[in-house]
Amino acid sequence: MTGAARRILVIEDDRETAGQLADCLRGGGYAVDLAGDGTAALSLAEAGDYAVMTVDRMLPGIDGIAVIRRLRERGVATPALIISALGEIDDRVRGLRAGGDDYLVKPFAFAEMLARVEALTRRSAVVAKETLLRVGDLELDLLARTARRRGRRIELLPREFRLLEYLVRNAGEVVSRAMLLQHVWDLHFDPMTNVIDVYVGRLRRKLDHGQAYPLIHTIRGVGFCLCAPG
Amino acid sequence: MLLDKTLRSSTLKLAAIYIAVVCAAILLLFAYVYETSISFARTAVERDIAAEQAWLAAGYARGGAPLLARRIAHRSDGAGSGEWSYLLVDRSLAPLAGNLRAWPNALSGTGGWSDLPLPSGARIRAVYQILPDGDRLLVGRSLGDLEHFDRSIAFALGWAVGLLALLAVAAGVSTSRRSVSRIEAINTASREIMRTGLGKRIPLRGTGDEWDELAGNLNAMLARIEELVEANRQVSDNLAHDLRTPLTRVRGRLEKAYHCPPAIAEYPAVIGQAIAELDGVLKTFSSLLRISRIEVQDRGEGFRAVDLSALAREVVELFEPAAEEAGVRLHAAGADGIRAVGDRDLLFDALSNLVDNAIHHGGPDGEVTVAVAEERTGPAVTVADTGPGIPAEERRNVLKRFYRLERSRNSPGNGLGLSLVAAVAGLHGARIEMSDNAPGLKATLRLPPSAPASGEAQPSLAAGKLRPRPVA
Repeated sequence: MTGAARRILVIEDDRETAGQLADCLRGGGYAVDLAGDGTAALSLAEAGDYAVMTVDRMLPGIDGIAVIRRLRERGVATPALIISALGEIDDRVRGLRAGGDDYLVKPFAFAEMLARVEALTRRSAVVAKETLLRVGDLELDLLARTARRRGRRIELLPREFRLLEYLVRNAGEVVSRAMLLQHVWDLHFDPMTNVIDVYVGRLRRKLDHGQAYPLIHTIRGVGFCLCAPG
Repeated sequence: MLLDKTLRSSTLKLAAIYIAVVCAAILLLFAYVYETSISFARTAVERDIAAEQAWLAAGYARGGAPLLARRIAHRSDGAGSGEWSYLLVDRSLAPLAGNLRAWPNALSGTGGWSDLPLPSGARIRAVYQILPDGDRLLVGRSLGDLEHFDRSIAFALGWAVGLLALLAVAAGVSTSRRSVSRIEAINTASREIMRTGLGKRIPLRGTGDEWDELAGNLNAMLARIEELVEANRQVSDNLAHDLRTPLTRVRGRLEKAYHCPPAIAEYPAVIGQAIAELDGVLKTFSSLLRISRIEVQDRGEGFRAVDLSALAREVVELFEPAAEEAGVRLHAAGADGIRAVGDRDLLFDALSNLVDNAIHHGGPDGEVTVAVAEERTGPAVTVADTGPGIPAEERRNVLKRFYRLERSRNSPGNGLGLSLVAAVAGLHGARIEMSDNAPGLKATLRLPPSAPASGEAQPSLAAGKLRPRPVA
């Protein structure tokens, strides 16, 4: 990855939150620039080459949504993660329409924020379409919609296959329950139950049962991660 | 005060316009009556004069000027002669007979009608003619009677107009006062409500008129607002309780950790517990916020055609592992391809809550069926379990926020799941029916027929929210 791919612009007016975001991102191996208001955000985002920017919805002066809209008008395509305290879908969608790429509702777990930023950086460095995905001894054939471990076929329901595909595409990264619900089920709310955990649990049993090592790991308080050892 | 308002009231302005139009109409009518009666009286006078002239002319024709002069003299001396004027003059305008002294200068030409002033000041209507031998004859009659008649008609009509105008003004003012006083009653009540609270109502007069209807509607609105405020108050009480309790626990733990620091190795456990508690609080908070948002959302905003059968299958599929874990058999039933109009996310969420409840309360070795059907009233989704069910008298209550049955008070859950279902149902104009599945509970969400009903829309307190399709 280039240097720019690891540089994040944090647009947040609350100093403490900004500091926490920056610490968390630095912990994830990113370099971080801070902008405390819309004007600073505009000049920094236009001048710098950032992998991702996180944008607070409510900013003094220029509103976060307006910042993104102006940047998009000026041809700045840096993926934007909108962080909003307003919540609910209307705000999310308004943000996404203005050119935001993902959203997060305050309060959030920092690990979730990091997971979403990771996903956005990967998105900005997306690779050509592949038809065969591999993680460790797992092989996913996207055309035949089949999964094999060490050559042995694993029977999956269509939804389970989509879930596995999403996990494999994000292999080595943490994905949250909300991200799964959003990308695998196309649902934009928090089900408030452990239904996703149980669903992933069943996939895990099918995938990891009787294998040399587990692929799906639960990351406490955040979500899941699919990775092979070593 | 009231008079001042009456003078400024719109009703009075309307009444004034009305009065002006009516007065103009009356004046026109009276003018016509006046004109007609005066000209009738004039015609009568002229007819008399013409008859008199004809009689005199007949005398002239029979006996020449001498007979004519005799007739004139006879007439001039007779009774009522004061009213009549006669004059016969010769060619040189020297008077031959009659009670006028000189031929009026104004009369020239060969004859005709004229109004003449007399030296005495009275006015006469006169006709004159030139007789065959060159003499001239004038016959006139005083206009005094006619003028008197004219004056008395004008007088009577004037009074009538004045009285009518006065009556109209009085009626206008009294109508305005009435409406102003009704409005003032409503204003007073509104001010009182703003000052003291929502307990007051606008008094009705029992007349059943439009004012009573307005007051009745305003009262109904006030009742609805009071109900909402009361519901809100209850929710904030419950919210305070449901948030304070875990927050107090967290605070207690942190305080304890602060005062008697645990071993370093125990830190993660203490902190982890605190975070978990706070997550619970935040979840309750988001659920409430979400429900409130749904409750004030405009119906129909962002609604799409939704394949209800497919949606039910997806929910069942999502919950299948969870049901399996709880030892509950979960399956979808009912017809395929049943469509409804609504918000997919919200319908999914509502149905998830019903299924989640059914799995949790269905008991071990239970069975949960999700069935979609097109019924007479429209599409309907039924979630039936075989658990202990809900007592009939409790069925309405479970839809309230934070309401929990006694027996589930100590199990996980925040008592908001079914209120979310209720809010989603409200948004879709749907009804929730709870019935006995014998054993168990049958919860049915009855959606309106495909076109979303907009007639009896929910009271919408906030502006419409954007609800387009979420971007994948």
